Amino acid sequence: MLDTLKTISERRELLGILIIRNLKIRYKGSMLGFFWSLLSPALLIMIYGVFAAILRFNEGRPHYLLFLVTGIIIWQFLNMCLNDSLHVVLGNANLVKKTAFPRLILPLSMVLANLINFLLTLLVLILFLFVMRMPLPGLGMVPVVVIWQMLLCLGLAGILSSANVYMRDTEHILGVGSLAWFFLSPVFYPIELQMEFLPDHLGWLPFLNPMTGILYIYRLLLMGGEMPDILVIPGWWLLVSVGVSLVVFAVGYAVFQKSQRAFGDVL
Amino acid sequence: MGSQEPEIVIAVDGVTKSFNLSGRTGSLKARILERLTGRHKKRTFKALDDVSFTVKRGETLGIIGANGAGKSTLLALLTGTLFPTRGTIYTEGQISSLLELGAGFHPDLTGRENIYLYGAIMGVSRAHMDSRFEAIVDFAGLRDFIDQPVKHYSSGMYVRLGFAVAVEVNPDILLIDEVLAVGDSSFQRKCLEKMRAFRREKKTMLIISHDLQTIQGISDRIVLLDKGKLLGSGSPAEMIGQYEGLVRQTESSVIKREWGTGEIRLEEVVLLDKHGSASDVFHAEEGLHVQIDYRAVQRIEEPVFGYAISDAEGHLLHGSNTQLAGLEIPAVSGRGKLSLSVGPLPLASGNYLLSCSVHSADHRHNYHRLDHAFPFGVLSSGKAAGPVDIPVKWDYAAGG
Repeated sequence: MLDTLKTISERRELLGILIIRNLKIRYKGSMLGFFWSLLSPALLIMIYGVFAAILRFNEGRPHYLLFLVTGIIIWQFLNMCLNDSLHVVLGNANLVKKTAFPRLILPLSMVLANLINFLLTLLVLILFLFVMRMPLPGLGMVPVVVIWQMLLCLGLAGILSSANVYMRDTEHILGVGSLAWFFLSPVFYPIELQMEFLPDHLGWLPFLNPMTGILYIYRLLLMGGEMPDILVIPGWWLLVSVGVSLVVFAVGYAVFQKSQRAFGDVL
Repeated sequence: MGSQEPEIVIAVDGVTKSFNLSGRTGSLKARILERLTGRHKKRTFKALDDVSFTVKRGETLGIIGANGAGKSTLLALLTGTLFPTRGTIYTEGQISSLLELGAGFHPDLTGRENIYLYGAIMGVSRAHMDSRFEAIVDFAGLRDFIDQPVKHYSSGMYVRLGFAVAVEVNPDILLIDEVLAVGDSSFQRKCLEKMRAFRREKKTMLIISHDLQTIQGISDRIVLLDKGKLLGSGSPAEMIGQYEGLVRQTESSVIKREWGTGEIRLEEVVLLDKHGSASDVFHAEEGLHVQIDYRAVQRIEEPVFGYAISDAEGHLLHGSNTQLAGLEIPAVSGRGKLSLSVGPLPLASGNYLLSCSVHSADHRHNYHRLDHAFPFGVLSSGKAAGPVDIPVKWDYAAGG
């Protein structure tokens, strides 16, 4: 792991170029360019907003729209990483087959490119929340949660990008899997809705899904007491989410490092 | 150590590379089925089989062999895009490889962006790339196109940029796979010049090419691969000779044909040079001798022995027989010998095939025919195009 960090710092120029390449190519040929990274969550928010209104999630929940906006933007970071993971090695087959460089740079640069996108939308979100007079009680802690979510994304990128090289089924599994994950995560509904189904001593169960913890803590830091959700949960429930994220990260790292030696054989 | 012996910068030791043929892009379904039905046998293909050699600093090593011999796999292993199944590979210094010209270029990025991308992949600092940028653009001759996306480049432009950037990153070891086959002749000359300059700087090069003349000219030493095995390593002339012999054998075995009714059999046919020793390469002006041992299982009246020379594809160039030559053989029975002198050969340098036959005087019975069975090479000083070497003399009168 230390060796890896050293390698990455040695190859930071390559990392930088690949991050820029990722960002450039994403919006290449589209007229609105970077605005899509604001426009697409905005459109998603509209869709889910209408959907939630029909299902009456918003009734009796003040600031539901802000709650939804926050959730969608946070989910988008994960979702972009998941989808891009499929192509991170396959889409660079030419590079992988013909040139030698630390393969880890590929998923890393993808996640970092998405992170830059996410940070920009997050900035817009925070300004928006500020204008809407949200308390923003834990703004200083937000970077820590961003790093937490990034580690989760890196782990998943490691698993998915190498799995898709060997089994093209990964793409189909992910299509269904990420949708299921979305509905299992409190993105457009509050956690308290999940709690209603669980006895008190199993309240930690939703936090096995790391996105439950991540979404919860972001909202707590940004909206504090204004958040339309339960405010107080035992701290160790969050640690369950952190723990699962770290396991995913470690597994993703190990899987990628183990399988990358054979990329050249399979591509 | 005061030794001046150049150090070893590449050591390939007992390297085997197998590819898994089944389930290369295996779907989950196929894998599960394999497990369930117990038909999980791995079909593997050995691209390289126990290959060992070393390269010293400053050496230019040519790698030759037929398609599928494992040449490209070897370079990929040295580059580090593939890893050996068994054995070890040691390399020292920065390696730049041209496994395919322009490999690693992204079609949507401009020439300029791709130059820096390649530099970064090679681990070359941006400052160094800045200093080499002009040289790369000049060498590739792409000044007007450098800010265009490379997807708009012609294949020639692609290749030029690829070569330029791979050379200018200033590696210690340069690996080149079949690069000289592409690009126009003036660019090929520029490449060769660059490679010679590289040699003078005592850098190490490994070159794959099917252009035997070029590879002979530039290599210090050549290794010959055949079906994944290292057949030998030695001086360029020696190894290319061995390779050409190999090519002749495989080429002729494709169109070789033996048939006939068998009353007379051509038991042995040997090609001899002017000193009377068996050979398969002959100088055109010296010609060749053929010695035929036959055996007739019954008495045959007036047999005719024939021979023919065809090109490597089997097109007849010349043929004759005892009847046409006026040699009457009243009858044969049991064993006997015939010998035949052909030449000087009005043939250009290249590979040819000899056929031998024995048939009846009226051509109605073919006792035994060995079509295209004996490959041989001709060395000629003739420089004309085509298989036939006809003496020519030009006269030129200015003005007129």
